Amino acid sequence: MGPKLDAILFEAAQPVPFLQAWAAQRSLQQRLLAQPDGPEAVLLLEHEPCYTLGRGASESFLRFDPRRPPLPLHRIDRGGEVTHHAPGQLVLYPVLNLQRHGADLHHYLRQLEQVVIDVLAGLDLEGERIAGLTGVWLEGRKVAAIGVGARRWISQHGLALNVDGDLAGFAAVVPCGLSDRPVGRLVDWRPELTGQQLRGPLLGAFAQRFGLDLRPPNPQEGLQGW
Amino acid sequence: MATHEIFMPALSSTMTEGKIVEWLKKPGDKVERGESVLVVESDKADMDVESFNEGFLAAVLMPAGGTAPVGETIGLIVETEAEIAEAAAKAPAAPAAAAAPAPVAATPPPVSAPPTPAPVAVPAPAPVAAPAPVASGRVVASPRAKKLASQHGVALDSLRGSGPHGRIQAEDVERALGLTVAVPRVAEGSGAAVVVAGTNGAAAAPAPAGEAFGRPGESVAFNTLQGAVNRNMVASLAVPCFRVGYTITTTKLDALYKQVKPKGVTMTALLAKAVGVALARHPQVNAATSADGSAMSFPAAVNVAVAVAMEDGGLITPVLANADKTDIYSMARTWADLVARARSKQLQPEEYSTGTFTLSNLGMFGVDRFDAILPPGTGAILAVAASRPTVVAGKDGSMRVANQMQVNLTCDHRTIYGAHAAAFLKDLAQLIETNPESLAL
Repeated sequence: MGPKLDAILFEAAQPVPFLQAWAAQRSLQQRLLAQPDGPEAVLLLEHEPCYTLGRGASESFLRFDPRRPPLPLHRIDRGGEVTHHAPGQLVLYPVLNLQRHGADLHHYLRQLEQVVIDVLAGLDLEGERIAGLTGVWLEGRKVAAIGVGARRWISQHGLALNVDGDLAGFAAVVPCGLSDRPVGRLVDWRPELTGQQLRGPLLGAFAQRFGLDLRPPNPQEGLQGW
Repeated sequence: MATHEIFMPALSSTMTEGKIVEWLKKPGDKVERGESVLVVESDKADMDVESFNEGFLAAVLMPAGGTAPVGETIGLIVETEAEIAEAAAKAPAAPAAAAAPAPVAATPPPVSAPPTPAPVAVPAPAPVAAPAPVASGRVVASPRAKKLASQHGVALDSLRGSGPHGRIQAEDVERALGLTVAVPRVAEGSGAAVVVAGTNGAAAAPAPAGEAFGRPGESVAFNTLQGAVNRNMVASLAVPCFRVGYTITTTKLDALYKQVKPKGVTMTALLAKAVGVALARHPQVNAATSADGSAMSFPAAVNVAVAVAMEDGGLITPVLANADKTDIYSMARTWADLVARARSKQLQPEEYSTGTFTLSNLGMFGVDRFDAILPPGTGAILAVAASRPTVVAGKDGSMRVANQMQVNLTCDHRTIYGAHAAAFLKDLAQLIETNPESLAL
């Protein structure tokens, strides 16, 4: 294993509106596009309740009128179908130059799954993959959703791990377009667990898996509105 | 002038084809070097595809919603505005709707714009899969096809392309070489052929009444699977088919089914087993005409494929291998697993493309008769309708009520003649009517 790669960690303590986090990712993506050998970055946060649709996502998986959504609804530039975000769900948005990590989007998806599987293993839980269904599953329930977008191999979007949030919002959609696959959250297996506690292990597993040295931003690396 | 091709990129070493989610540019649009031109999706990852050249998008060879193999040319970029028309005219796509800039504009009014790119409900022009002879005499082929052809010494101009606008695809070269093509070999009658999975066999698919893939006023592109099924069905028109029907009394089979149902055996497994046993005794009906039409191929095994409709359109034929030799309990378990994985699109090609005979069952819907379209590469397909109580007259003038079902065999007459079909059906009927218990042994 070579020397660790320099990566900036942006962490938000309070729930972040989706559009703000998306703008932050795009601005980080722009930086890496302009300077492909610059530092990579990752955002760790929880979202205010909302729904997002992948670029090719079908609205038929919404159980509401998209013109009158019960929560903010965003169509965004990632792959995959509809998903739901809410506090209690840890969201990790790596902005990586994937050419440093194999230049293989399927491999990248598998690596993100592995990060979650590693975190679950630390809780003595056995996360699983289901071939053809990207995400991480625990006893048949999907606990982590994954969807990414890339431009010139610079990634955005990432993974969302349900820890201790309310899952009620998922009832208004067919998450990831899978009607027969329930969504789960870790607190149902580990009742004492909180999202706050799991932030460290998640970052640790992520940094380990991608060989990153995470550090806070320098003053000149700050993000507007962050 | 220079024309630059945009290729379907490899987003992963494990990616063989990608779906075009969206063209960010229309034909005629100016494109900067490094500007995103389209978005490609594979698994849950999107990638913006950028132009390496400054110029104008002259032609879109595969519209949004379409799927193209890695390395396939999907668009053309030219350097000057003046070259657009010329390149578009030379492009294989030029005369077709796909390349015309107009259709995109002629769509319903935009949805009240959310802060993000508005949900695009634009009915993309359907991917053109029909073989279209190339008028110009110029051979248009994908890079993979060119490579394969040169490796194997195939003359490209001798091939008929199945790609958009007659473009020669790698699979056309493979077909010419007699290599198997990993496209689901599927075809079906006029409706969706649903085979109920589930261990109880009784609960039908939860399909709402009158399922549709689109809403009124919409035009919905065929998905990859539907496209593959369509190509196969159209190909079957080149096969001289005939059909033979038979009425089979199922009273004893129904009694057997009641006995084995608690053990997880479905009617599908029972029928597949019966068909498998009968096929083993009638190898001619298990045979098929070879791809070049010169020979009859007799498969080494009896593999019964059963048509399963996919909820999002198209259908697939998971294969019960060695159906004549496998016991019904193993077969029922295998079948449940195949159907579950077919629904989540996890079947391996050999699990749906190795059938030697196909079974299509619409019995659970009460259908009293139908006929099926022959899947290419096989010799026959059996359409099974519902079993219903029927008044049956005996030769001695007696009358009784018995459960009867109609089956209808579609055959490739090059390999299977009427007498072969009739003998097979007679044997199958006899097995089901008089000795179904043997199926459970």
